[in-house]
Amino acid sequence: MITREEIIKHTNEALEKEFEFRAEQLVPSARLRDDLGLDSLDALDMVVVLEQQFGVTLRQGYDLRTIITLEDLYNFIEKIAREHNK
Amino acid sequence: MGDSNTVVITGMGAVSPYGRGVETFWDGLLNARPCMHTVPELEALPLVQTKVAATVPPEDYSFIARKYRRGMSRMGLYAYCAAQEALKQAGYDQAPAHLGFFMGSTLNSISVWLELASYSQGAHLEMIKTSDFLQIMNHSPLAGVCQALKINGPAMGNSEACATGLMNIGLGFMAIRSGLVSQALCGGTEEYHPMFSACFDIMQATSKNANDCPDTACRPFDKSRTGLVVAEGCGLVFMESKQSALARGATVLAEVLGFYANTETENMAFPSALTLQRCMQGALDACGVRPEQVDLLNAHATGTIAGDIAETQAAQAVFGPQLRINSLKGHIGHTMGASGSLESIACVNMLARQTVLPTKNLCQPDERCAALAYQTAVQKTPLRIVLKNSFAIGGNNCSLLLRRPE
Repeated sequence: MITREEIIKHTNEALEKEFEFRAEQLVPSARLRDDLGLDSLDALDMVVVLEQQFGVTLRQGYDLRTIITLEDLYNFIEKIAREHNK
Repeated sequence: MGDSNTVVITGMGAVSPYGRGVETFWDGLLNARPCMHTVPELEALPLVQTKVAATVPPEDYSFIARKYRRGMSRMGLYAYCAAQEALKQAGYDQAPAHLGFFMGSTLNSISVWLELASYSQGAHLEMIKTSDFLQIMNHSPLAGVCQALKINGPAMGNSEACATGLMNIGLGFMAIRSGLVSQALCGGTEEYHPMFSACFDIMQATSKNANDCPDTACRPFDKSRTGLVVAEGCGLVFMESKQSALARGATVLAEVLGFYANTETENMAFPSALTLQRCMQGALDACGVRPEQVDLLNAHATGTIAGDIAETQAAQAVFGPQLRINSLKGHIGHTMGASGSLESIACVNMLARQTVLPTKNLCQPDERCAALAYQTAVQKTPLRIVLKNSFAIGGNNCSLLLRRPE
């Protein structure tokens, strides 16, 4: 079972690569839209790269409106990963 | 002709195999700097005879915001740089309101397309990102630059292969004349992929006998020529009505006198001399210029056997054997969709500097090419009117007349 730390590490790696973030920008409280500047198209691409990163399906049940911060994103991935491993 | 009907060029932007910028482009041409190189992907293909291309030196484009860069393949990045340079020379930090934008390419990014095809082969079409699609639309470079530079007038992506750049200048010329816009950015952009070389190779149109000496590979009009060298880049000109330029005190670089286009319907790949003759004559007739008033023909002349012969025969029929002629494909190769506009930028510079560039690698004109005044050295000379030709596979031909500002 993937750990919380691994989820954070792999998520941040994927976001750094896809969206050219610096590691220090990716603090849990960072808001995806307002702090990191991701728009609606970025949000769609983010799902694709995270699905590749974790090998799970995120796009069903994914609602950006409920995922405001990176912390929210980690929580969402953790929940999906847990369900995936049931 | 009134100032509102007269169209002038007030800005130019270039990305060429010499690098970024109009000055870099001119310096490379004037000094015949080397820019061609062998391509490893072609060297690995025994059945493809040409091994040479001319590509834009790699650069870091991260100065373009990621939000805009995500939708740009290489040809979009080139177009962004050229557009920004042309706007700046025209006197704008930002695009003026209702600026028209007319730009296209031969194909869209083959590299990105192949990346998508690899998703498909791996049954992973689900992994396609929105940014992939934003890069492979037919008008991706046009749309991307509009977003990045806030160009909010009519934007149209006209595409006629190797005539694209000049056709778009013609389209902008007509759009300004019609009153649709008073200002427009116009030209073509292109990015190299070895597939272009392989395609032209199978058509027996590529250079074959100078793979060990790339910068001599393309030899327009020369007896020893064997074909073209595929290249890439972007050329954009900022055009506006003379009325608009005068009203804002812009420096006029050249006047666009006339434009004409026609289509060869007998053969998609080999235009007849008669069709090309009619194209050049049409441009003269469109603006009432007499053949003897034209000081230079900057030919399409890609260095193919048949193409150079047909174009010179057509030029001689229109202008007579005293016409001065050059081609820039020996310097930078065939930048395809960008060639007409990049070479028009060189024409404007030749007019401005009263300097005729030679045809690089032209040592002995082919006797099958019609007798003309082939330019083989840089020459300072009075120049007032230059004719620029572009011809495309598919049979699409066009000619544009440029005049030094009065």
